Amino acid sequence: MAKAKLATVWLEACAGCHMSFLDVDERIVSLLEKVDIMYSPVVDSKEIPKVDVGVISGALGNDEEVHLAKKMREQCDILVAWGDCAVFGGINTMRNFMPTKEVLEKAYIDTVSTVNPKGVIPGEDIPELLPKAIPIDQVVKVDVYVPGCPPDADTILWVFQELLEGRIPKVPADMMRYD
Amino acid sequence: MKEITLTIDGKVCKGTHGDTILGVARKNGIDIPTLCFLEGLTPIGSCRMCVVEVEKNPKLLTACTTPAQDGMVVHTKTETLHNYRRQVLELLFAGRNHFCMYCSQSGDCELQRLAIEHGMDHVRYPFLYSDFENDATHPEYQVDHNRCILCLRCIRVCAEKVGAHTLDLKDRGWNAKVISDLGKKLGESDTCVSCGACAQVCPTGTITIREFAYRGRRSDCDDIVESVCPLCGVGCKIKAYVRTGSVVRVEGTTTDQPDGGQLCYKGRLELPRSTERDRIHVPMIREGVHYREATWEEALSLVAENFKAAHEADKAGALVSSICTDEELSVFSALFRDSLGMKRLDTFDGDILRGFMKGFEPFRKQGVRPFTAAHNILESDCIVNLCANPDEEAPVVASYMRVGVLKNEASLINVSSWDNPFEGITDVDIRLLSECGDPALLDSLTKAIIALRMSEEDLGKGTEALNDYRKYVQQTASLVDMDVDEVEQLVLKLSKAKKPVFVLGSNVSKNPLVVQAAVNLAIASKAFFEDGIGVVPLVVSSNSLGTVNTVLADEAWLGKEDLDFMYVFSTGMIPEDEDSLAAISRTKFVVVQTPYLVHPLVNMADVLLPAPAWYERSGHFCTIEGERRRLNVVVPPKGEVRGLASVIQEFASALGVELGSPKAVPCEQLFGSEKAPQNAQIVELEEVSL
Repeated sequence: MAKAKLATVWLEACAGCHMSFLDVDERIVSLLEKVDIMYSPVVDSKEIPKVDVGVISGALGNDEEVHLAKKMREQCDILVAWGDCAVFGGINTMRNFMPTKEVLEKAYIDTVSTVNPKGVIPGEDIPELLPKAIPIDQVVKVDVYVPGCPPDADTILWVFQELLEGRIPKVPADMMRYD
Repeated sequence: MKEITLTIDGKVCKGTHGDTILGVARKNGIDIPTLCFLEGLTPIGSCRMCVVEVEKNPKLLTACTTPAQDGMVVHTKTETLHNYRRQVLELLFAGRNHFCMYCSQSGDCELQRLAIEHGMDHVRYPFLYSDFENDATHPEYQVDHNRCILCLRCIRVCAEKVGAHTLDLKDRGWNAKVISDLGKKLGESDTCVSCGACAQVCPTGTITIREFAYRGRRSDCDDIVESVCPLCGVGCKIKAYVRTGSVVRVEGTTTDQPDGGQLCYKGRLELPRSTERDRIHVPMIREGVHYREATWEEALSLVAENFKAAHEADKAGALVSSICTDEELSVFSALFRDSLGMKRLDTFDGDILRGFMKGFEPFRKQGVRPFTAAHNILESDCIVNLCANPDEEAPVVASYMRVGVLKNEASLINVSSWDNPFEGITDVDIRLLSECGDPALLDSLTKAIIALRMSEEDLGKGTEALNDYRKYVQQTASLVDMDVDEVEQLVLKLSKAKKPVFVLGSNVSKNPLVVQAAVNLAIASKAFFEDGIGVVPLVVSSNSLGTVNTVLADEAWLGKEDLDFMYVFSTGMIPEDEDSLAAISRTKFVVVQTPYLVHPLVNMADVLLPAPAWYERSGHFCTIEGERRRLNVVVPPKGEVRGLASVIQEFASALGVELGSPKAVPCEQLFGSEKAPQNAQIVELEEVSL
């Protein structure tokens, strides 16, 4: 039987969701017998290939992330929103209370730990911020939502197993968490 | 009450006329999700979580506010309702900042729990990111309006249970915001009593207590200990959440209890703080200006040696905190009183308590209970504050009084020689021209009321009674800054009140005649409650009443003569007064047993013995709520701390004294009543037995 193809992408988030995925420990071996990870922060590939399941962790905060989210949607059959940032916007939404100009000034000039005497804000060659950080389903259609900051390893594994069985899982109450 | 029958989710349920649908459902074990509803507070049906379908009714109805009717067929768990409730939750999440990962209440949050239960794996609405302020002006509590779901529990508990009505709502719709006073920051509020009831009932992380934030969820706690707060006479029940040996949260009981589940700022905050104070861990003996550590054996034999000599010369005394359990006090009493026959045994608040007890004595002899449970203030229609300052003496009593006035429409009469502590809600404010310790005013008011009743009832002596009445009204007016008309209004108010209650401050009780006069006034104005006469004595600690038959001296002795030996047990929770400290410092040999490094008391000690703190002990307290309440060990003692009973036991054996079994009578028995309060007779004041 051909292996299922999986791609995961890390957008505006802290890497916690991928770290939590690694907490499946040795169970990853049996998972990899059934799944090929085609594209992921832990895999060296440049373009998202055609896959069965695409997973997005992180919110959308700039135009590159919107591009990647759309690309992922195009390339996958089933799209999973992974973690609070992808599902709700998460901690990134803390910046939604100020205009983007102020966000950049705060990050690159105002914070106490920053040394930037010329007050340079990087602008060229880097993606432009969206007015607000938003959950991914405001841009792309999502098939499976897995909230949690991060979701438990068991929950992540359960979702993949359900998908491998050909079902579209809905996280039950005893597995769901928002923190 | 008429019984009604309805069908809920196919089950035949019985209820009483006047119950809500939610009330009947809960009585019959059917769960309907709620969010703004809290048992004991007025239901408002604002969150719409409890909506149910009622057959033949086209609209969804809120179960918490809809009266149940006979024959109703109710559905609580249909798919429509589930979807509707989930939609409500999604709208709440989209409205403000409900991102759980950086909220101190995550895991303890009712909104979060309901969302998870309803399978809310995402929100279908765009988030508003509305920007409300985070009010961090109050030293103890923090209000993050961004986490508010406008359930209004805080506003209701503040108005209905605390009686402060500090909180209210400003603006409408999604701009609505809970405010304090008329828009002040909470820390600047004049009316907030800092009790934290609002934080206890808050279902989300909006109102939080700094002391408890991020110290552990309720579910992470190893133990939840029910105990009693010792810090005033009320003795509120507390629930202490303990995690890895430290107290991470303190709560009152629930809002449906008679006391409204409230605690005051002391009850809520002092316990965790008292676990963090500097402790005395080992016995210490003074050497010159320093102390050196000693073994228990060495310390106790030194104590015994000094005690023996002083006791033989009749120059020994013992002073014990009233924050001791009944059991501990009876051991003290068994040693000092029964075995050693020592007269000089007392508590720090002995003067106050002796005043109350001597004033109550003539009525106790009649077989009536001359006081009533503090929460009975809530039943009263006329509350009289007699030289009390409840906000400081017993803040929960102040809550009862405010709720009595604001919710139950009782009138409030304040009698004091200082500023009225209930400014703004007082009907009659009587400023005494003399100090509070004068019984004359209460006595002439009593006589005026009696005369007024005589003139109304007895036609034969009507004229005489009326003359008496005029005389006493005149006399009352001359004692205070009031004219005759005002006094007449006052007398009328007291005599017409159905259930007046008199709150008696501790600072007047040092004169037993004032206490006696207050009980007389209560009898004259027919202040009769089920458990006793309508007087609420604000004693100092929650087991002050328990000292009455154990360690309380018949007459004051402290400071009358300099002694050679004094044993002092202090819990370090209520500061010692200056007179006591002066008398202690004049004693030749002082033994101080205390949990904390309480200054200046510990500096006076020749021998310093560690003691378990109040939360490390167990036993019973005799509270003014009329209940014997159980104190439980919240956190077990550490180090070389030994229980009081075992220390006393060892001290006794060091003295070579046999410790008899404690003889103290349980306080229910001591303060029980043989007769209904209606049988109480007024006892003329005499200048005797003072």
